Amino acid sequence: MTAPGHRELLLVTGKGGVGKSTVAAALTLALAAGGRRCLLLEADRRESAHEHLGTAPSGGSILPAGERTWLQNLEPETVLDRLVARRLGGGLLARKVVGSALYRSFAAGAPGLGSLALLGHALELVSGEVEGAPPVDCVVVDAPASGHAVGMLSAARLVREAVGSGPVAELAGRVETWIGDAERCGVVVITLAEEMPVTETLELLAALRAETGRAADLVVANALFPPAAEPVEEPVPLWVRRRRLQEEELERLAAGWAGPRAELGLLPLRPAEGLASALAERLAAALGSEGLP
Amino acid sequence: MSATRRGSPPLPELLVVVGGGGVGKTTLAAAIAQALAAGGEEALVMTFDPSLRLKDVLGLTGSGGGDEERVVPRTGGRLRASLLDARRVFDRIVDAYAPDAAAAARIHANPYYRHLAGRLSGILEYMAVERLYEAAAESGRRRIVLDTPPAQQALDFLDAPRRIVDFLDSGALRLARREWFDAAGRLKATRGLRGVGRRVEAYLDRVVGLDLLRDMVEFFHAFEPLLAGFRERALAVEALLRSDRVGFLLVAPPGEHRVAATMHFARALSERDLTLSGLVINRIHPRTPPPEAQAPEGERLMHWLGEVDAAGLVALEERLPADLRRAALPLEARPPTDLDSLERLAERLARSWRRG
Repeated sequence: MTAPGHRELLLVTGKGGVGKSTVAAALTLALAAGGRRCLLLEADRRESAHEHLGTAPSGGSILPAGERTWLQNLEPETVLDRLVARRLGGGLLARKVVGSALYRSFAAGAPGLGSLALLGHALELVSGEVEGAPPVDCVVVDAPASGHAVGMLSAARLVREAVGSGPVAELAGRVETWIGDAERCGVVVITLAEEMPVTETLELLAALRAETGRAADLVVANALFPPAAEPVEEPVPLWVRRRRLQEEELERLAAGWAGPRAELGLLPLRPAEGLASALAERLAAALGSEGLP
Repeated sequence: MSATRRGSPPLPELLVVVGGGGVGKTTLAAAIAQALAAGGEEALVMTFDPSLRLKDVLGLTGSGGGDEERVVPRTGGRLRASLLDARRVFDRIVDAYAPDAAAAARIHANPYYRHLAGRLSGILEYMAVERLYEAAAESGRRRIVLDTPPAQQALDFLDAPRRIVDFLDSGALRLARREWFDAAGRLKATRGLRGVGRRVEAYLDRVVGLDLLRDMVEFFHAFEPLLAGFRERALAVEALLRSDRVGFLLVAPPGEHRVAATMHFARALSERDLTLSGLVINRIHPRTPPPEAQAPEGERLMHWLGEVDAAGLVALEERLPADLRRAALPLEARPPTDLDSLERLAERLARSWRRG
């Protein structure tokens, strides 16, 4: 298997509060520094990625965020509306359909459609099919919380099975093939070295294997205290006790996951102070960037 | 809990613990319930997503996904705990409101329901309040502490009952409940929409295909007999949340960059006429003296975290309403591992309440 640094899509996921968005931005910057043209796609209503990349909020459009780096914030629902409208050739009819009550309740209730639309958009970006978009080699998706990552990966299959034919079924088929190709699409899981996040990460890794038959490209343990020099004098400082707890959890993670792992130290930087770029340098090695063009 | 004696906010009969992901809601909910039980009251803690350790403490391990109440060991039977499961609550409501077993079975078997029950955004949140409603109806004198789901958009929880009512009242539902399909399984042309409507349908057919639509329409037909009861119940749940039996406890992280989100949440509660009983700022990194030049990196990082949190606390104090009761709890080296440490956490909480 090639290194995650060569994928066309990296789905970044993790429990709330573990620094998922920060690390997704850092991954984007690391890939761009390695020579790839990279777009960070944020799927959250509340924009935060722009703080890490030092741009204005995207508001739905694609913003340049440095050399070979772009940012876009898109809600899955908006992508779905755009997709449907485009397939209908735009115009009044498309607006009628998207505005119709039946379509709205369908879009809100139909499982997987939003995820499919988002991934379809990513696929169209790397395939150069999005009008007016810059050419990109890789899309990093700052995905919704980890419970939904498996759902996102199975969305295309789900929709293809539910929808017999037509343009959406066609797109679902394309995305399913793309997502299913582990050489082209990978998953990166972010966690803290604490009990709940590690437990959730191990559950997610198991569910990925069981439901999609794949392994994650990388598991990142974020915000670690540095190891303490032994022996430690009494009273043991709080940071040393937190580090010990983190070491226990890192061991538990290693016992349950033999695949690639990266550890990121806690950095005394706020998002606006270049946190993502500082983390990007530390992530470069974990991406296997030696073979980058 | 000797809580009132120590100046903490009067605990309502039903306490709903809210806040963003990873802020320590579940542990605090359990701690408060345990302190109530230790103080001689009957208490129930309802939780969504406890850590293995906390599950163990609450005697919830080995619970095979059921959401029944269990007596927490070593509490003299006064503390009970249950693990919430949205899907089960939804199933129970369907069973309760369906006119007969066959109608219930038809809903349970519908593919659209099977997806909807687990995934429709807001369902998990709504089911949490539903469960609170159920438990409140049986409650008698006991205290209930409800831990809320780790919502990505924490506000979803507050709006869940209203959204269900709006959805049930919406034209969308009436549209979906119409006879869309003829005997041959083709879309019927609908009278109300006329020409454009027929073309809209034709395009919907082309774009999304019909199987999923068919499941959806069947689901709403099957669900129809339940609608009145369901709507009435959602309204009752909403009224309960606004009543003086219920208070909300907001748990927030201290960091400077989380202040805006905390204020947003506090405002959202008051805009909805919900009672904010108190705010707990949780897991605060202690403030330490500036480290010496040769201090280990870990010490410097802890100092930095202490400064970031202190700045966050100042920013919060500037913005919080003066009459809001608040408590600040430090980061612990380890999370509570047994009933005693849970109770000590609740004691520390009780001692740290104050007004602005």
